Amino acid sequence: YRDLHTFELQAPTRLIEWACGNRVCVAGYGQSDGNEILQLIPPPTLLTKETQGLCPERDFKVECGGFSERPVYSLKYVPDTSLLVTSGPPDSSLQVWQVSAEDSDVIKCVSTLATENGTEQSWAKIATISARAPWVLHGSRLDRVQITEVESKKNVYTATSRGSEELSGLAFLDCNTLLLCCAKGQLCLADIRQPQSLVEAMSMPSAPCSEQWCMGTRHGAQGLELSSQPVARLSSKGLLTLTDLRKTSEFLALAKARVPSPGSGAEFLCVSWAPALEGYLAISGFDGTVHVYDTQSWDSSGREAEPVFVHKGHAFGGAGGSGDLPLVTVHTWHLQKPRTLLSAASDGSLHVWDWVQPCGKC
Amino acid sequence: FPAVLLCPGAGQDVGRSCILVSIAGKNVMLDCGMHMGYNDDRRFPDFSYITQNGRLTDFLDCVIISHFHLDHCGALPYFSEMVGYDGPIYMTHPTKAICPILLEDYRKITVDKKGETNFFTSQMIKDCMKKVVAVHLHQTVQVDEELEIKAYYAGHVLGAAMFQIKVGCESVVYTGDYNMTPDRHLGAAWIDKCRPDLLISESTYATTIRDSKRCRERDFLKKVHETVERGGKVLIPVFALGRAQELCILLETFWERMNLKAPIYFSTGLTEKANHYYKLFITWTNQKIRKTFVQRNMFEFKHIKAFDRAFADNPGPMVVFATPGMLHAGQSLQIFRKWAGNEKNMVIMPGYCVQGTVGHKILSGQRKLEMEGRQILEVKMQVEYMSFSAHADAKGIMQLIRQAEPRNVLLVHGEAKKMEFLKQKIEQEFHVSCFMPANGETTTILTNPCIPVDISLGLLKRETAIGPLPDAKKPKLMHGTLLMKDNSFRLVSPEQALKELGLAEHQLRFTCRVHIQDPRKEHETVLRVYNHLKG
Repeated sequence: YRDLHTFELQAPTRLIEWACGNRVCVAGYGQSDGNEILQLIPPPTLLTKETQGLCPERDFKVECGGFSERPVYSLKYVPDTSLLVTSGPPDSSLQVWQVSAEDSDVIKCVSTLATENGTEQSWAKIATISARAPWVLHGSRLDRVQITEVESKKNVYTATSRGSEELSGLAFLDCNTLLLCCAKGQLCLADIRQPQSLVEAMSMPSAPCSEQWCMGTRHGAQGLELSSQPVARLSSKGLLTLTDLRKTSEFLALAKARVPSPGSGAEFLCVSWAPALEGYLAISGFDGTVHVYDTQSWDSSGREAEPVFVHKGHAFGGAGGSGDLPLVTVHTWHLQKPRTLLSAASDGSLHVWDWVQPCGKC
Repeated sequence: FPAVLLCPGAGQDVGRSCILVSIAGKNVMLDCGMHMGYNDDRRFPDFSYITQNGRLTDFLDCVIISHFHLDHCGALPYFSEMVGYDGPIYMTHPTKAICPILLEDYRKITVDKKGETNFFTSQMIKDCMKKVVAVHLHQTVQVDEELEIKAYYAGHVLGAAMFQIKVGCESVVYTGDYNMTPDRHLGAAWIDKCRPDLLISESTYATTIRDSKRCRERDFLKKVHETVERGGKVLIPVFALGRAQELCILLETFWERMNLKAPIYFSTGLTEKANHYYKLFITWTNQKIRKTFVQRNMFEFKHIKAFDRAFADNPGPMVVFATPGMLHAGQSLQIFRKWAGNEKNMVIMPGYCVQGTVGHKILSGQRKLEMEGRQILEVKMQVEYMSFSAHADAKGIMQLIRQAEPRNVLLVHGEAKKMEFLKQKIEQEFHVSCFMPANGETTTILTNPCIPVDISLGLLKRETAIGPLPDAKKPKLMHGTLLMKDNSFRLVSPEQALKELGLAEHQLRFTCRVHIQDPRKEHETVLRVYNHLKG
């Protein structure tokens, strides 16, 4: 490590979202009510590009917070507004919150975007964009995907689909194109200018269906170009596939991560690309570790890949080992500092770490 | 009802603590701090608010000081000797021993170094301390017939205490600065379920999520190690007491583990005073230290030796702890001047530095300092700041509230705007009211007074015989007659009351006429009504 800071949140989080001004947002996902949404100001060590030494301020500060009656499974800021959107069980409705103004530090729930529900207990995956207006893309299943205008609550687009597969993630590739990832692994593209055309899974080499999948798309500093960025998918058994969206008939790369088995389920599977380091991605959700990989050396053989770095802090930290080892619930990369990541685990720990490139002087 | 006033002064800064509490007719001053950021009269609280109505000694029943930090006791000599107060001042034994040292230290900088005039003198500090009554933990002290106080362990620094102030059945708990997690040399704050009407808690760090102690220590040791490995010297300016011991223990353990050979020195002044006080107040440190102290003297270190000023010129790496803590005078400043020009060396400031001191200047980034005689000192050595101070964060505050179970909570030291979230959190979780007054603002807390009433044995027996026994959580309704005579309240059965008052019992019967239209026969209708009522 070059740097490691460990913090303890009062309640564990399964999301870490960046907000403007380098703020970070976390939220509780406990079943009982009284979950808190916290917008944090990271310590100055994280705000500057150069890592300082013994910085006077090494702590996170809670800038503002809100109370949620339901567990918060997903949270996204709505760009260019002071709003954020959350979702969580028991249904796929969304809650819209106002991040406070000058006079108070409370995040207030200002409205709810209700959706028609099936009988299943599912929660909506969300993505936001503010191209033509502040929009939120949401849905728990392929046939329930829609885009709603956040402020007016108007429905802007509804996807037409034959299938009703459960979704594990969705994203805006640009202001007209959506990328949807199903829990069984299929990727679908949709153009919102053509709402009538069916949304179908892209043809790609088959991947084992018994596993659960999640995806990671790369958000470069200059916004994402559909063509250039490969999409990564991670399965609950540790399989990693990289796909170029222009040529989905074959994998760009296929590799296997060494993960414990039997796995701990797919609840917290997370894969993300490094925004400031070409070809690097990180995975977590199998145990108390986060793995960092350099995908530039990968091929399509499906061989086991060696991680460039493994963060084990969550497995060792904490007060007294009673019972289960903590499980990493989420991780994210720092937007500017190339090797800095934040990770959170089921025991409430929040780590900020900066790893050293192994083939260096040490 | 208790009314709380945060003593007015300049601004709403965190700088200073001074709170006035009015409880059941008694007036108590909690802490008497000085603002460390100001160089003029703004550093002292403005007492004219109180004095305009008469003498302070008549108005105040007592003054309580929570611990020896200057932002809690720095204005005490000014208050008692220059403004004028002759009543009792309460604090714990360690606080009483340490306060005068820090006050004198601070007086020296302000008057001798900066040449200020409107400041208290050494004699004033002495006279002030003569008015101090030292208290033990958990000892109930009767200030007068009605007012009593009790100190609880607060952690934070040696001798720091939280105080419970009780008048009759109304009580207030003031926390001062406290810490809910134990560290190497102090335990965690603790209070029993005293259920005060009001808990006044500091909330400076309420919105902070602290970096783990292990990480801070790891980084501190890493810095020291790196400097020593490259042959540099590390200067750590400290106050005589407090964090110095913590850091010593930390270094000693590290040196032992890593088998390091570089010498570590402790300023002679420090060794004597510190050890002396710690031995005196060993009960105030935490369990672990007390245990090891029995086996070997925890403050006699294997790797840490007494310092001699000649050693500062020795070649090679070393670590030195020297007083005073802000590099404003004395040995630490002397050593600093010798080592500042070499970039291999490092100075680590372990605490807050007052404006005007060298410590403050170098922390602000100044690298060319003007010393006595117009000499310019160029600072090439590395300057680091490492804060180990222990305060309660949001989680700690919630823990304390859970322990004490107050009916109301008042938060001091935070900015009201930024505390709305914490206020709601406290109110939601504990169903109590939470107040956040600004400086100069008076908050009034309404309490439900408890009025003790004697109950006659006969009535008690009768009521407990009926139905289940009363449960502490579910009050049971009972019937009786309250007799108020002179100043006594008694609850007796109605029959007894009548007898005592010499009154006869009357019975009132209410009848009312109801018309029922029913085609059935009379006795049938009566039967139906009867059955209906019975059912």
